[in-house]
Amino acid sequence: MSTTSIRSWRAVLSDPDRYGAALADRNRALNAFLEIDAKRRPAASPAGAGEAAGAGEAAGPGEAAGPGEAAVPIAVKDNIAVRGYQLTCASRMLENFVCPYDATIVSRLIAAGYQPVGKTNLDEFGMGSSTDNSAGGPTSNPWDTDRVAGGSSGGSAAAVAAGMVPVALGTDTGGSVRQPAAFCGVYGLKPTYGALSRYGLVAYASSLEVAGILADSVDLISDVYTAAAGIDAMDQTSTWTASPPSSETRTVAFLSGDLGLDQRTTAGYARMRDAVASRGYAHTDVELSTSDYAVPAYYTIATAEASANLARFNGVRYGERPLYAENPESLVRAARSAGFGSEVKLRILLGTYVLRSGFQEQYYQRAQKIRTAIRNEFDSLFATYDLLVLPVFPTAAFRHGADELDAFQQKVADKFTTLANLAALPALSIPTGVFDGLPVGIQVMGPPHSEARLIEFARVIATELPFERPPGYEPLSTLPPSGSEVA
Amino acid sequence: MKTELDITADLALLELTGDERVRLEAEVSRLLDYFATMDSIDVTGLEPTTHALREGNRLRPDKPAAELASADDAPSAESLADDILEQAPDLEDRFIAIPNVL
Repeated sequence: MSTTSIRSWRAVLSDPDRYGAALADRNRALNAFLEIDAKRRPAASPAGAGEAAGAGEAAGPGEAAGPGEAAVPIAVKDNIAVRGYQLTCASRMLENFVCPYDATIVSRLIAAGYQPVGKTNLDEFGMGSSTDNSAGGPTSNPWDTDRVAGGSSGGSAAAVAAGMVPVALGTDTGGSVRQPAAFCGVYGLKPTYGALSRYGLVAYASSLEVAGILADSVDLISDVYTAAAGIDAMDQTSTWTASPPSSETRTVAFLSGDLGLDQRTTAGYARMRDAVASRGYAHTDVELSTSDYAVPAYYTIATAEASANLARFNGVRYGERPLYAENPESLVRAARSAGFGSEVKLRILLGTYVLRSGFQEQYYQRAQKIRTAIRNEFDSLFATYDLLVLPVFPTAAFRHGADELDAFQQKVADKFTTLANLAALPALSIPTGVFDGLPVGIQVMGPPHSEARLIEFARVIATELPFERPPGYEPLSTLPPSGSEVA
Repeated sequence: MKTELDITADLALLELTGDERVRLEAEVSRLLDYFATMDSIDVTGLEPTTHALREGNRLRPDKPAAELASADDAPSAESLADDILEQAPDLEDRFIAIPNVL
């Protein structure tokens, strides 16, 4: 992103009341935010960015933070902790919860000159591909409000695409950053597992989920990633490497075979191929023998981990609970039965089932071995190729409700995104332009800790691909300065 | 006679009734059938991958570490505990209270 546009985004926080009102106004059509507050936190001092960044290199947004300059607004998915804001996970279970601490990535970004301005909508606890499964109501796609924004980070994607914020945080357990980014026509980075601290993320499936970044430029993805990444003493699973793979790309593999793509996605994938060819990369078609097993293995592992992680929601320490109960266990049963939505109950039931004694070997153990097979296949793929290009989702944004894709079909359609989570690899969704009125994103995957390679590839390939904005796009950074409406 | 769904729901501390029970029973069974497609891949000789980290555990020397708080204005452990207690639906002193049960 150019220094000019970053500067104009800083300017909006010089009048947080006005910006907050403009956010609320635009939110009425989209429901991208569950909570808006542009002045809850004082603007961070641009100094002091260094100490929090641990082993990672700290960098301010566009390195344009001058003394006394306001921060850059950032939206945060409502399953990531920001002190003083709600943390509902779009669940009735956490309706009145006020978060007492900051996620590590949030405190690092505040130190680097970003300021949270609100919490964005999601499928309850991150479970879904539409942001229709939210106790706060569905988020709509800025390109067509009859359609979903994708999920589960649908609010973050819609907020960026609609010009409400330049950048937003999301989480990606099985595609929840990349798929909404693709549906809304913005960039979406799912980093290597552990590259961004998970301290302050509400756990859904701990061995699969990562924090991710959605933005309308590659540069901003890069800036935010660099500022947030690094070892965190509060997260024993955070990782960092002193010797990441080279950022250079020479050979690109394309996933081929019967991919089952709709017309728009077929066209977006073809455009990405043309762009790769015209930039002169060596490119080859490849097939993955394990890819048919990714989705069942993913849902087995994810639901098993969810059934354990969500056991903590018992209505005792926080959250909704009945006024009366026969005994402590009936209190917990009543709280959980009233507090969780239908999709969350489904996944808890499945996870409990696959972990039951007698069924573990058939489902859970087998899924873990398939995860090994998938990792082995990617290890050998990336021994030969620098990057793998593949679709994000078989379709462009689908309509609200179950008419175009029901809940089961939405899960099966996670076949391209769950691979990166199972293999713990980084992946970046890149907008390829608009086809028959809707954007299509195509993702690029690399070996562990190859974020710099993905970002550099996206920068190069962006010169060959149109970056388009939804109809009527007018970013809130172009709000006229306060008082200017007075003639 | 309890069905498999009832046993599972019981373990998960969920009560399922009416339409929701009917719908969830159908969806759970559809997904379990789908999970069964995992039978057709040969996983002989593969070890299960139970965790995401490729590097294994990240260890540090067994010495006292500096304060873990990640920002200057981060809440202290004590005020964090107070803030967390404030989230409880009902408190008696510093104890979380639940409705009377017999």
